[in-house]
Amino acid sequence: MSHANERLFDHQLAREVKLRKSRAERDKRMPLKDAIAEFVQDGDSIVETGFAYVRGPMAAFWEIGRQRKKDLVGIFTPGGMNTAWHEFGGMEGCHVAYVGVEMRGLISPFRRGVQNGTLKVYSEWSHGGLALSLLAAEKGLNYVACKSMLGTDIMKTNPYIREAEDPFTGEPVCLVPAMYPDVAIIHVHHADKFGNGRIWGPAVNDTSICIAAHKVIVTCERIVDTLDIRTNPYQVIVPHYCVDAVCEVPYGAYPGDMPGMYYFDRRLQERVVRLEWKTPESTKEWYEKYILGTKDHFEMIQLIAEDEGMNVIDYLKKLEQLACDASFYGLGTWGIGGEREWKYEEVAKRAI
Amino acid sequence: MNEVQYTPRELLACVAARLISDGESVFVGTGLPLVGALLAHKLHAPNMMAIYECGAVDPEPRVLPWSVACSWTYHKAPTILSMTSVFGHSRAGYADVGFLGGAQIDMYGNINATCIGDYDNPKVRLTGSGGANDIASLCGKVIFMGLHLPERFPEKCDYITTPGFLDGPGARERAGLVGGGPWRVISHLGVMGFDEETCRMKLISYHPGVTPDVVQQFTGFELIIPDDVTETPKPTEEELRVLREEVDPNQLFVF
Repeated sequence: MSHANERLFDHQLAREVKLRKSRAERDKRMPLKDAIAEFVQDGDSIVETGFAYVRGPMAAFWEIGRQRKKDLVGIFTPGGMNTAWHEFGGMEGCHVAYVGVEMRGLISPFRRGVQNGTLKVYSEWSHGGLALSLLAAEKGLNYVACKSMLGTDIMKTNPYIREAEDPFTGEPVCLVPAMYPDVAIIHVHHADKFGNGRIWGPAVNDTSICIAAHKVIVTCERIVDTLDIRTNPYQVIVPHYCVDAVCEVPYGAYPGDMPGMYYFDRRLQERVVRLEWKTPESTKEWYEKYILGTKDHFEMIQLIAEDEGMNVIDYLKKLEQLACDASFYGLGTWGIGGEREWKYEEVAKRAI
Repeated sequence: MNEVQYTPRELLACVAARLISDGESVFVGTGLPLVGALLAHKLHAPNMMAIYECGAVDPEPRVLPWSVACSWTYHKAPTILSMTSVFGHSRAGYADVGFLGGAQIDMYGNINATCIGDYDNPKVRLTGSGGANDIASLCGKVIFMGLHLPERFPEKCDYITTPGFLDGPGARERAGLVGGGPWRVISHLGVMGFDEETCRMKLISYHPGVTPDVVQQFTGFELIIPDDVTETPKPTEEELRVLREEVDPNQLFVF
């Protein structure tokens, strides 16, 4: 088996993989556990989607931790809390544009890993550079010539990009090759059973990622009828033919932000990042209690809610409504409702 | 005497806000830049437009976004784009000011956000570039905000994540960078700019209670101190009122 980095920029391999995929509209729904077990293999490169802590597939990331996947290679644009994996053998290296949670701080497991050499950094990027690398894969380009990263140490610490002379103008440009990660997990608001995924809010890089990646798992807040998608296709960022599995995971971005639905659990993120993960010992304690010690995402939310002594989900929904109430945008079926209403109510009730 | 009372961070936010003109588009980084941009919008730049790297453009700034990608960054935004789009629009010329932070800034305005110490064997590993490199490569001009300590203002950064004037006059052009590069540095001791000939950092104004000597002592390289340096005007009551009551009433960033 080749190392993930050998596959990462191989456009011929990426094409072969996609030629083999079925285009048929199949019912791809499955439990999250099965999807992770089947489509995330040890040693895969896995790309962050959404904006790490905004519409990130957190439930799926925790599940990867629970299943003790080994030696993944992370692609962080930006990277969030799943960098804790590496202290438990889950991640051996990474390609970094950004890892952190802004002013909430650095993520200690990542910092420790790089400082003591247990987590390799294979390449440095800027957000724009890495985004263009994924965009090139989606647009069918071998590489793009851009004006980012030039003149800086990023050029020296990234073996994949290079400076060249623009053949048209003669000026220096930075060449960024197309990147094809092994696996991507994309969390969306709505998906149909075939994998067409619809979001509200910024796509960030997800339209590129779903075409670039070899394997795509879609997790969604709610499964909707395919007619719902086909009569309103404008915000669909993932087309069904690139998708391998669809999992309905309400609150799947928790403790991150899900635009129009629920806000960050700010207090939890700050506590975890600043305190609980400060040392390897405390990280291990947290990880064993909340990730390995729970059977699924909902049990984890419930455990956190009990610790906080409040209904975290209801609280985050109210916060989010202030910023962008989905119904405000006249998006009709966007609001939480319909046949799956009970599921949200159920989770919210359990989260007291 | 009835002196206006304020904290160092409040002064920073007010100074940052004053540097933004009405009608400018501002690429906003996380933390204090968010506060400065929102304060400017509420005070003297109602037509200012914010851009965020997640793909949000021109939201109605009502409340401080808690992150550069959270839902407040696209609150009533006219359109929501993607990451490659907003950086592409910056290259095209639609971003006037970039607003950044970082761990180190050197005398040519190069910024380090990657590591302290040797890259291969870092003493402290930091976050990495994020959008900072792209913002400084592509935007019209860049404002840096940070704490003023000798190790944070070294002669040379341990790692250049984000380009300033690189190694001096003409270097940006030789490297092929399009944006104008660093314009202002706001620290808790003063406001700095860059000398047009040498591209080296120079003092523009020192904050109340500080002297140019103190600024120099806390700088790891020789700062150009022109004769016409002045004291930074104190925050006005109106600035402080808007900052405390409307921009950051919960003291998330400014305390």
